[in-house]
Amino acid sequence: MAQAIINGILIGGLYAIIGVGMSIIFGIVKLTNLAHGEFVVLAAYFSLAISAATGLNPGLSLILVGPIMFFIGFAIQNLIVNRLMPRGAEAPLLVMFGMSIIIQNVILQVFSADPQHLTNPLDTSNFALGNAVVPTTFLIDCVIGVCVILALNVFMKHTYVGMAVRAVSDDTTAAKIMGINVNLIYGVAMGIAMVTSAVAGVLVGQTYNFYPTTGSQYLIISFGIVVIGGMGSIKGTLVAGLIFGLAQLLGGFLFGTTLQLLAGYIIILIMLAVKPQGLFAK
Amino acid sequence: MSKSSKIRVVVILAVVIALYVIPQSPLTTDNTMRIGLLIALYCTLGLMWNLMAGYTGMVSLGQQIFIGIAGYNVAVFATTFGLPFWAGMFCGAGISVLLSVALSFLLFRMKGMYFAIATWITSEALKIIFTSWEFVNMGGGMTIKLRPYPDVFELYYISLTLVIGAFLVVFFVLNSRIGLGLKAMRDDDDASAAMGVNIFRAKLLCFMISGFVTGLCGALFYINQGSIFPGPGFGISWTVAAVFIVIIGGIGTITGPIVGAIIYVFLSEFLSQYQGYSMIILGVIAIAVILGLPYGIVGTIERKFGFEVLSTRRTMKNLLSGGRANVDYSRGRDLRVSK
Amino acid sequence: MRTNRDMLIVEGLRVNYGDFVAVDGADFRVPQGAIVSLVGTNGAGKSTLIDCISGITKPAQGRVYFKGENITGKPAHEIVAMGLTLVPQGSRCFVRMTVEENLIIGSYTKKARASRMETLKYVYDLFPALYEKRNDLSGALSGGQRQMVAIGRALMSKPELILFDEISLGLAPTVIKDIYVRIREINRSGGVTVVLIEQDVKRSLRASSRCDVMLKGRIVLSGSPGELTEEKIKAAYFGI
Repeated sequence: MAQAIINGILIGGLYAIIGVGMSIIFGIVKLTNLAHGEFVVLAAYFSLAISAATGLNPGLSLILVGPIMFFIGFAIQNLIVNRLMPRGAEAPLLVMFGMSIIIQNVILQVFSADPQHLTNPLDTSNFALGNAVVPTTFLIDCVIGVCVILALNVFMKHTYVGMAVRAVSDDTTAAKIMGINVNLIYGVAMGIAMVTSAVAGVLVGQTYNFYPTTGSQYLIISFGIVVIGGMGSIKGTLVAGLIFGLAQLLGGFLFGTTLQLLAGYIIILIMLAVKPQGLFAK
Repeated sequence: MSKSSKIRVVVILAVVIALYVIPQSPLTTDNTMRIGLLIALYCTLGLMWNLMAGYTGMVSLGQQIFIGIAGYNVAVFATTFGLPFWAGMFCGAGISVLLSVALSFLLFRMKGMYFAIATWITSEALKIIFTSWEFVNMGGGMTIKLRPYPDVFELYYISLTLVIGAFLVVFFVLNSRIGLGLKAMRDDDDASAAMGVNIFRAKLLCFMISGFVTGLCGALFYINQGSIFPGPGFGISWTVAAVFIVIIGGIGTITGPIVGAIIYVFLSEFLSQYQGYSMIILGVIAIAVILGLPYGIVGTIERKFGFEVLSTRRTMKNLLSGGRANVDYSRGRDLRVSK
Repeated sequence: MRTNRDMLIVEGLRVNYGDFVAVDGADFRVPQGAIVSLVGTNGAGKSTLIDCISGITKPAQGRVYFKGENITGKPAHEIVAMGLTLVPQGSRCFVRMTVEENLIIGSYTKKARASRMETLKYVYDLFPALYEKRNDLSGALSGGQRQMVAIGRALMSKPELILFDEISLGLAPTVIKDIYVRIREINRSGGVTVVLIEQDVKRSLRASSRCDVMLKGRIVLSGSPGELTEEKIKAAYFGI
């Protein structure tokens, strides 16, 4: 039990970083990014390729993966999504759906369907906490995830770009008349979300095996985070990650590991039906 | 009935008769029948997704719920109980309807993207349940054993009848008072409520029809295939197919799914030796169509030539065309009059 | 005729919403340093006109010149950077941001960023109530205070021309009076040209140096308060 709780909390940090990008896009661009899971997996594959080519530690490969993902997000937003947004929510949603299919199959062609893993010197190490044995990787995931989210929060609060992003999400028209180029900010927000996916991808990749089709699993986790934490709320994602991680691991502990995922899905469905604006909505 | 609509009815009847008669010619092979069957089934799948997304604004990403349920029903009825395929087929479709009613209480509280994701998550949950349910052989899947096993000709005729039935149902639903309300609902819930349309009931009707027909469709798919596994059975690729078919053809058009299904089946047949590439190409085509032809192929042709093969005289703007629709509620029933 | 003294010139502006013509060939000019009020009934096209001037709505026809430069169809954010700011109807503060964040975001344009501390001080001097509430979410403020945030936010962009869209809507008379005093102060000591959209003819006549009346998408009457009697304006206002 203690083991499940500690793991749940640590995994919560990882879930939060997986979900925060989707939450940003949801809250600011008002886009359901159905390709978010694929972007996380794509980042893991980028990291795999870069560390294979350069011998860099996967963590350090983020120096390259982060900017690449930022650029991809910025480009997708500016070239495709911004053009479609005046037509309503469905067209961008379907485009991102198509994008997820494309990414998944491109990865499949390039890397094959074999499971991959980002190797990390601490892969097999554990440490004891009370009578629980915790994999060090979980701790690293949690610490990095939480730190990135807190840094993002500071960025959103104290920089012009961050404030502009929040202003756009509050009132798009009012933001325009304050001199904010809304389309540009959408692009930047998408880019930032993609950087968080890059971090999430590398963390996921060093924690679990990944293969081309794992994206939908991370999309659903992200969606759980958004639904529990409330869209666009950065702090909400932390709490949501914690709740979701704990619920899954406790569900797994009590009802067996096959039902671990199911427990998560059921929580999302209940949340959606009862309080789709998130737990912290007023 | 005007002269042009008389001609139209004659043309449609001729095409339908041809579709029934052609297979009797000596030139048709099992393979052409198989392709005809797939086009009919994918077209049905697209029509049912379109009925929800294109006309009522409920973008479902969970059509595979009904496919998987019906497919498993056929397998269980045939293999476990030794019953004929149509028993499993209709029972599967019936369970799909019951499921759609049960889910509606949960799903209809949600709108837009919430609805989309919730339908998907429901299908993922079912996937897990079927993967760990011993009665259906868990992740090992089931083989469908039927004696006698219907051949591809029989399945073609059943599927052809199904797709024609699906067209008629969609046509009549959309030309009824409920259909008018549904189209209003797609653009504005409040407006249609003001028109006195019971939104919940109208949505539920569509969801039930969609569940029933998609269920029949799924049963036929799996009878044709011979075996079912939880992963593909409840896989998102069913919805991917439906979405691509409708978008390429033209969302919110009645005939769009035919064109979309033909393109989809031919693309995936031609590219079948390059598994994976077909999905990439389909994805690229779909995105290109959304960007370049917001009304899809059929929708664009209709707009250009002011011609509709099966008119429902949409006064609401197309789902993907965006902007506020110019809704003239005062005209009421005039909306049904065809162009 | 285009003189240098006119800061804003609108010529033959036409805006359609589908089949509906909201602004139908409006001509409008604002002399530098003036307070011009634009009155008219609901639906006369006042808000559409200034939305179009500030770049939120695109015109179908006509031209808009600001400081002699053609700004027709330019995106809103470029127009703000040139020194033309709108205080929108209903204030439209960023409700999930604090008062101070609202003000800071007002200085988003490059030109305004450099002097943001001085402008912030100027705004706080003008509206001491905002200084007291600077760390509160603007969504938690009263209507009048929110209006002050919106004005302060507009001032932060260092504008040369501010368009106020029905600033008195839904506010108590004493609050309105106070805000009008501030607007005159902004005009006099800050040297900012002002356009006031109003429904209240009396109040606008008192506050402004020029008054234009809009009816069914056109400017039907224009003049200084001395030239215009209340009867004349009322006749134009209702189209009698």
